Amino acid sequence: MATYDLTQRMIPYLDRHLALPLLAHVSELSIFPAKQLQEAQYELARRTNMVDYSVSLFEQLHPSDEVPEEFGSKRSNVETTNERLQKEAQVVLDVIENPEVAQALRQDKMQNLNYLREKHNLTHEEINALYHFGQFQYTYGNYSGAAQFLYHFLVLSTDPELNLSAQWGKLASDILSGDWQTAKDELDRLREAIDNRSTSLVPAASAGVGIDSASSTALAQLQGRTWYLHWSLFVYFNHPEGRHALLEVFLSPAYLNTIQTSCPWILRYLAAAAVISRKTATSGRIRHAVKEVVRVVQMENYQYHDPITDFLKMLFIDFDFEAAQKELGEAEKLIENDFFLQNFKDEFLDNARYFISEAYCRIHRQIDIADLSARLNLSRSEGEKWIVNLIRDTRMGADAKIDLSRNIIVIDKPHAPVYQSVIERTRGLSFRTQALGVAMQRRAMGEAVQRGGGGDRRPRGDRGDRGAADREREQQQEHLVPPAPAAVEVA
Amino acid sequence: MSRFLRTAGEGSDDESSEEEEEELSDDDDDDEEKEEQKKVPGSRFLKGADSDSESEEEEKKVVKSAKDKRVEEIEACAKSMDNALKINDWVKISDDYDKLIRLVQRQVLVNEATPPLYIKTLVDLESSLNAALAKEKTASKKMQANNARALNAMRSKLRKTLKESEDQVKLYQEDPEAFERAYQAQQAPEVVPTPAVKAKKVRVELEDEEEGGDGDEFTTVGKGGKALSFTADQVLKTLAAVSEARGKKNTDRAEQSRILEKLAEAAGTTYQEIRVLLALISSRFDYNPMATFMPLDAWASAKGEIDQLVKVLMADPQYAVVEDVTLEYSDLDERAPTKEVPVVRIRGSVISFVDRLDDEFTRSLQNIDPHGQEYVERLKDERGLYETICRAQMYFEQKDEGESAARVAYRRLDHIYSKPDVLIQALEQGVVTAIPEFSQSPSSLSVTGSSAVLIDALCKQLYKSGQPFLRTRAMLSHIYHHALANNFETARDMMLMSHLQDSIHAADAGTQILYNRAVVQLGLAAFRQGLVREAHSILQEIFSTQRVKELLAQGLHQQRYGVILTPEQEKSDRARQMPFHMHINLELLEAAFLVSCMLVEVPTLASLDTEEQRRKAASKPFRRLLDYAERQVFMGPPEHTRDHIMQASRALQDGEWEKCRDLIEGMKVWSLIGNEKQVKEMLAQRIQEEGVRTYLFTFAPYYTTVSLELLSKTFSLSVRSVTSIVSKMIWNEELAASLDQETGVVVFTRTELTRVQQLAQALADRVSNLVESNEKALDAKLGGGPEARGPGEGGKTGERKEGGATGAGGERRFDRTRTQRTGAARTGTGFRGERFSQGLGNNRVGGAQNAGARTRVAA
Repeated sequence: MATYDLTQRMIPYLDRHLALPLLAHVSELSIFPAKQLQEAQYELARRTNMVDYSVSLFEQLHPSDEVPEEFGSKRSNVETTNERLQKEAQVVLDVIENPEVAQALRQDKMQNLNYLREKHNLTHEEINALYHFGQFQYTYGNYSGAAQFLYHFLVLSTDPELNLSAQWGKLASDILSGDWQTAKDELDRLREAIDNRSTSLVPAASAGVGIDSASSTALAQLQGRTWYLHWSLFVYFNHPEGRHALLEVFLSPAYLNTIQTSCPWILRYLAAAAVISRKTATSGRIRHAVKEVVRVVQMENYQYHDPITDFLKMLFIDFDFEAAQKELGEAEKLIENDFFLQNFKDEFLDNARYFISEAYCRIHRQIDIADLSARLNLSRSEGEKWIVNLIRDTRMGADAKIDLSRNIIVIDKPHAPVYQSVIERTRGLSFRTQALGVAMQRRAMGEAVQRGGGGDRRPRGDRGDRGAADREREQQQEHLVPPAPAAVEVA
Repeated sequence: MSRFLRTAGEGSDDESSEEEEEELSDDDDDDEEKEEQKKVPGSRFLKGADSDSESEEEEKKVVKSAKDKRVEEIEACAKSMDNALKINDWVKISDDYDKLIRLVQRQVLVNEATPPLYIKTLVDLESSLNAALAKEKTASKKMQANNARALNAMRSKLRKTLKESEDQVKLYQEDPEAFERAYQAQQAPEVVPTPAVKAKKVRVELEDEEEGGDGDEFTTVGKGGKALSFTADQVLKTLAAVSEARGKKNTDRAEQSRILEKLAEAAGTTYQEIRVLLALISSRFDYNPMATFMPLDAWASAKGEIDQLVKVLMADPQYAVVEDVTLEYSDLDERAPTKEVPVVRIRGSVISFVDRLDDEFTRSLQNIDPHGQEYVERLKDERGLYETICRAQMYFEQKDEGESAARVAYRRLDHIYSKPDVLIQALEQGVVTAIPEFSQSPSSLSVTGSSAVLIDALCKQLYKSGQPFLRTRAMLSHIYHHALANNFETARDMMLMSHLQDSIHAADAGTQILYNRAVVQLGLAAFRQGLVREAHSILQEIFSTQRVKELLAQGLHQQRYGVILTPEQEKSDRARQMPFHMHINLELLEAAFLVSCMLVEVPTLASLDTEEQRRKAASKPFRRLLDYAERQVFMGPPEHTRDHIMQASRALQDGEWEKCRDLIEGMKVWSLIGNEKQVKEMLAQRIQEEGVRTYLFTFAPYYTTVSLELLSKTFSLSVRSVTSIVSKMIWNEELAASLDQETGVVVFTRTELTRVQQLAQALADRVSNLVESNEKALDAKLGGGPEARGPGEGGKTGERKEGGATGAGGERRFDRTRTQRTGAARTGTGFRGERFSQGLGNNRVGGAQNAGARTRVAA
């Protein structure tokens, strides 16, 4: 399974401290030589201020050797620095913990700064002390403390560079202290910061320095997003709502581009998340998520593929159920070993089976139960149970029947009459036309036109595309809870 | 003509008319030239072509006895005037006078001093004219009418001439003896002339003299005798004189080059050598500006001299050739590095020499017949040129001149980007043998390892350079090379990430051509890798313009639609043509395009019911050819590529995939594609698959069930892959059917639509089209457009890409999302169609029309 292990690819994009749990996980799996892993862990820890941890790792690694002296001096060093920084930070902390001050603080950071400077003689340097102390605490593993100080710093500081750095620090601290809700909030803020960074910096750059700085901002942004993609995995696969958020963020064009450009392996998690969250999300959007993921997977197949992406490819592009089944078996093993996905094995398998059977049922009209069970990696009786549940749970119920005498499922799908498709196609046209009229009227009145950004208003391509879109809607009609008529979306 | 004339001329003597004599002497000169300059072949042809300009020929007389001949002519003329004066025949005098003036003017033209005889004649004439006039007044008997008229005309003419050469006349009148002596002094070779005449003339005279004199001395230098007599001072002086004459109307360029060559041998110091080389190389390039390309021998020597120059400069870092020298210096001073000025800067530009050399090479290739031996011979020079370029690159890198290094790196890239690995290896090998140090240079193949890495290194160097022009070119060359090496995905990603589609229209024609070439090569790469849909969509863009040749600069614009090019446009078109060896084979290209058309469009056509839908679905070029093939009453055996593909398409339509495969595989053009066997295998497999699809589409209405086994047998595919194909069609709702697992058949559930139902659907389609176009129009009017709709759009566009029902589905997928890759800013912009640069058409009347048509296609 070592071939599918992503640890090595991911570590360059992670923080030292974030990489440690990954390594710890990998060392449990014994797919890599233990010795190498220990060395790697030691190397990681040595540069941090977690002296005791490093020493213990060193002792594991070289049981017979003397512990190097550097650790002794480092320890005393760390202690003195810690005291010094704490003293500095305490000054600020004393001020802001004063209830009077806490009340006086407002949203406006500038104003807060002025207030603090006037009333309590707090300077920029002193506030920065919060940052330094937070950072220092982080380096020796006091994550919750670090998170706390960085939080205070973020509230007060206006320095954009330090703020960004503090945000990353805060996120890492939250992740490592396992505070998923805060971490998720922090993620959202961080994403905003990354995305806005370009818009705020680019005009300035293009005005003055020209192409180079503009492209370097773009580069910084790309890097920021790449980090984001990696760091956020910790949160998204631990937070209860995480998978949906992951799909939402990762499938947004900017992040999808980043995945395609700099880290295609993230596709594994994207694909897994898309499969896992089939049941839980509103079904329409997730169906699109899977489709979108399949499209990207196909496009990036030359760069990256693993059993999970191959599973989707086999199922939805090649329609090779046998191969899909094989990939699913591989994927199962992979998920067991994956740091992020290990807790989702059952969910993944369940949903993957659902996908298979759905595709199977749409294509076939008579299915041998034994065959389907085999496709799903289930035994005969399990398979039957599964199929009954499937029929019961989904809207296929009306169409599919099990014929036990012949051991088959018979699916009798009535096809939509022509009239229905004509109605589908013309539905909402009058409303859209009305909307046009209203928009023109408003324009005539000189108002700023607020157009509803409904999906149906997008400019469409040639006939082929539209045909696809229409079919799309028909499919929804057929298989899912009937969506609101298209026209309603155009507010 | 010359031969006959000469024999005639030899018979006759001095009496022969002057024009004849001139021509004669031309011919003589020519012949002498030939004998004298056998070592310079080639130039003779040029001379022949140029002989009507005359200037050159006349110059030959300067060094020959023709000079004396002319003086004699003048004397003869003066004499006959004298005689006429005696009999008072003013008509004859007037004629002679005109002739004399002409002769003298010629003398001036060739930079020779007018003999004093001329002035003397003028003075004499004036006095006798005055006398004649006086006599005329007093004389009782009038002159003959025409004689009198001639006299009067003569008077005004003479007055004018005298005014022109007033100073000389004055000089002469003051002291005729001294005047004579001054002239003699000028003519005498050893004596340095005194500034007797105009200052300008002195200089010219000096040059002439040294030309003659140096010539003699240089031959002795060759023997090793008097080399020391050439002091530095003299070399520089001569150089100054030569450069003074440069660009003047009647300067003999060949002669100048020869002098400079000899000077280069004689140069004593590095400084002199550099200066002389600089002058020599420019004079080589100046040699014949009117010719279509530089004579090959001149090119070869220029190349050698550039090499030498670079070598000298590299060996001696105390000297530098730079374009802008801040320090003013005199051309005549010898300069050497001193403590204050450690580096001597000399005005000049090595990079422009290299550029020019390369351009001339391309021009010669453009103009030599590509099917002749000469072309091959010429192509062999590329190796040497490549060496020169590499040498220059080393020099610039050593000097750390970023901009020039980038330019020369681009030149280098330009030579290798379209070549396969083997050729690049050979070129690089040649460089290393010629310049051993080169193997240590960071950009040599031995350091970079493989040619792909070499190109990568060169391109990266260019990306870092600040010049957008070079960056674009480098990017395109890089893409081209990736595509050539079958790295389709990489090339495609680069193409889309560069966002060149958006800006290519504003680029210069050369870049547009390169863009077109890169795109076409990308299409071929996709084809080779079996990505038929991608290949189809990429190549369609260029084939729908029907100007493939022109867009790739592999042929001239066809005169159509009454668009007539001005000669200048035609000339610039011609100058942009790709040399033959860099051409992309058009037949192969067409074969790739048509085959991918066939594979994509035949099933699509089969899936559509109505004729109208079909008309819309197929791409025009393919559709037209197919229609034409269908109209044929009798089909002969296929002869060329198109025939093959058309017959194959028909076979595919009929479900005869084996015939189709045999026809396609029988095409000879595949031998050019590289991995022939692989491509053929890929094509065979594709034909099988598309055959199944076409078969199902075409014959579904006539069956209720079809057994999968039968399908697999008919098309020689495994049951598994047939199942996969059918499943895909069902999933995508291309086919109204379902599989029956138990019996292993496809059950068709298709319903025939009645006419009314069809019409109802069509109506519904149209109405929704109408609403959409209204919305679009409103959007456009109100501003904002798709971007205003917010970032959600990007995600949404994705949903409708899964269609795949039409040929468009797949190709869109390729383009649309990729365009957005890195661009954070360009989220949500709908894909605007991969644009083909209009290339050459842009600056033309016809270009506008075409562009308009193309936008419609893209929209």
